[in-house]
Amino acid sequence: MNRILSVFAALLVVAGCGGGGGGGSNPTPPPPSNTFNYTDAQVYSSAANASLASPNEITSVTQGSVTVAGQAIAYTATTGHLTARRLGTDAADASFFYVAYTANGRDPATRPVTFFYNGGPGSATVWLHLGSYGPKRLDAHAPSQDVPLPFPLVDNAESMLDISDLVFVDAIGTGYSQAIAPNTNQTFFGVDADAGVFRDFIRRYVAVNNRAASPKFLFGESYGTTRSAVLARALESAGVRLSGVVLLSSVLNYNSNCGLTSSNSLSCGGYFPSYGAIGAWHGRTNPPVNVAGLPAFAEQLRALTNNVYAPAVVSFLSSRTVPPPATLQTFTDATGVPVAQWQGSLNLGPDPFRNTLIPGYQLGRYDARMSAAGGVGNFDISSSFITTSFSVGLQGYFNDTLRYTNPSNYTFLGNAINTWNFSHDGQDLPDVVPDLATALALNPRLQVLAVSGYHDLATPWFQTERDISRLGSLPNVRVRNYSGGHMIYLDDASRVTQKADLADFYRIATTP
Amino acid sequence: MNRLLFVVLCTLGLGAAAQQQWSDPYVPPHIKRSENYVETRGEALRAQVEQKLRAQFDAADPAKSGTLTREQARAAGFGFVADNFDAIDTRRSGVIRFEDLKRYLAL
Repeated sequence: MNRILSVFAALLVVAGCGGGGGGGSNPTPPPPSNTFNYTDAQVYSSAANASLASPNEITSVTQGSVTVAGQAIAYTATTGHLTARRLGTDAADASFFYVAYTANGRDPATRPVTFFYNGGPGSATVWLHLGSYGPKRLDAHAPSQDVPLPFPLVDNAESMLDISDLVFVDAIGTGYSQAIAPNTNQTFFGVDADAGVFRDFIRRYVAVNNRAASPKFLFGESYGTTRSAVLARALESAGVRLSGVVLLSSVLNYNSNCGLTSSNSLSCGGYFPSYGAIGAWHGRTNPPVNVAGLPAFAEQLRALTNNVYAPAVVSFLSSRTVPPPATLQTFTDATGVPVAQWQGSLNLGPDPFRNTLIPGYQLGRYDARMSAAGGVGNFDISSSFITTSFSVGLQGYFNDTLRYTNPSNYTFLGNAINTWNFSHDGQDLPDVVPDLATALALNPRLQVLAVSGYHDLATPWFQTERDISRLGSLPNVRVRNYSGGHMIYLDDASRVTQKADLADFYRIATTP
Repeated sequence: MNRLLFVVLCTLGLGAAAQQQWSDPYVPPHIKRSENYVETRGEALRAQVEQKLRAQFDAADPAKSGTLTREQARAAGFGFVADNFDAIDTRRSGVIRFEDLKRYLAL
């Protein structure tokens, strides 16, 4: 997308939606004079050819407090830039923008530190930062489409600050992160180069903040899980030992996800159980299944996929044979997708599914519990519904709470993906399961937790289970699924459950 | 009324921007899966792990001597080998071979 146009469009949307919020309109108060102490005059750009001549490491430092499980946690928030220096040469490669929350008065030798990043590639870390486990979150109430907009910023009772310090960092070419000359942003627009520069950011963060002894965790979402696998290998081989990796809504193998490639020879078996869970949510399965029944229903869906649907797709792809109507009826009972649809396109991809389940409506991609009447092209109601709230919320939070300002546009979504180098290990699309396996070979104590949403049509949970199963049966690699979409944490009930699972995971991963 | 207006504005505004928008994860249509891609597990996956480590070992040994010193590993950013050098170097020779690393990792 044209960058100027996108900035202009974003401003229009922010202005239009902020002003249209009725009683909830949110004019930014004039900043106190000390805010100017924290203004970074540098202009940052997400353009592929952009390059910083003189990076700085100016940070804003503010104090906050959040109450988690009845315990008040006083923390320091540090917002600004830190230079990643290349392993081996120490060259200043890139200037990363980050927000770090550090609980006050803890022993760094035992206090964990977790690095969070969204994916894309080309997405800023705003979703994890203001949606998941930071001290504040935007109150989205997913999948409700009947809530006040923009979402209010609230104290996060499920914050992970009770178990770890939290560092939210933006990839190069997103947020305010930019390459340093002679590099350009494009230098880091690739699977391997991106993971390498993240490794060097983490090494620098650890060195500057004296965190060498701290248990270290990675927490990536979506393409961020692809990054995490490559990054975990890169850190372990560089001698930076990790305690755990949380993979949220994983895409560990672009070659196995039939929704990501235009190839029509790839089985959509990995999606079939998601269709069942989503059909159940919309009351289309026979018999009906409620949310509490999802884990048991998931077990049936796995069996139906492995024993019937996946073999049928193999026959269909090789000889165009379609199973008998009685078999198709079992697919219909399990998902709500009509028999005629299975008859016409047995290997059903996620986009046709979104337009098929409920006539006249298009389901969301990130959260298929949400829907919009009509629906065209690549529109995703579950993305559109939340984007403006996060845009408005982030800007206000930077200005009013973190007291960090600079004259640039914070890039939510850069253009990196259009020129991204997806090649990895000699393949045109990345399969990073071998990278995760290498990290586990270097550090057999490394703990891995893969979490997925039953109602996500971007990174389907059963495909993640299949990809993870390639590692073999390892006690330190766990999978958990939750009612919810791609951003599981936006669901109020699942955020609570997932937080409890994360607390268990951190306890296991930090037990000597 | 205001609520409705807000939703309409946002949907319209983002809808316009969404014409060329992608979401995460996404692959531009011109990039295809390699024809020779094979999904690995078990022994084949273990062999890939070995191949990755061997590539890193070889990169740290540009002279192709077949061995690494602690200093060579350190200089090449192979901190894992440098940090665990004494445990890997069971022969106490001051240099390690790839086979020594493999044995140390029980690969």
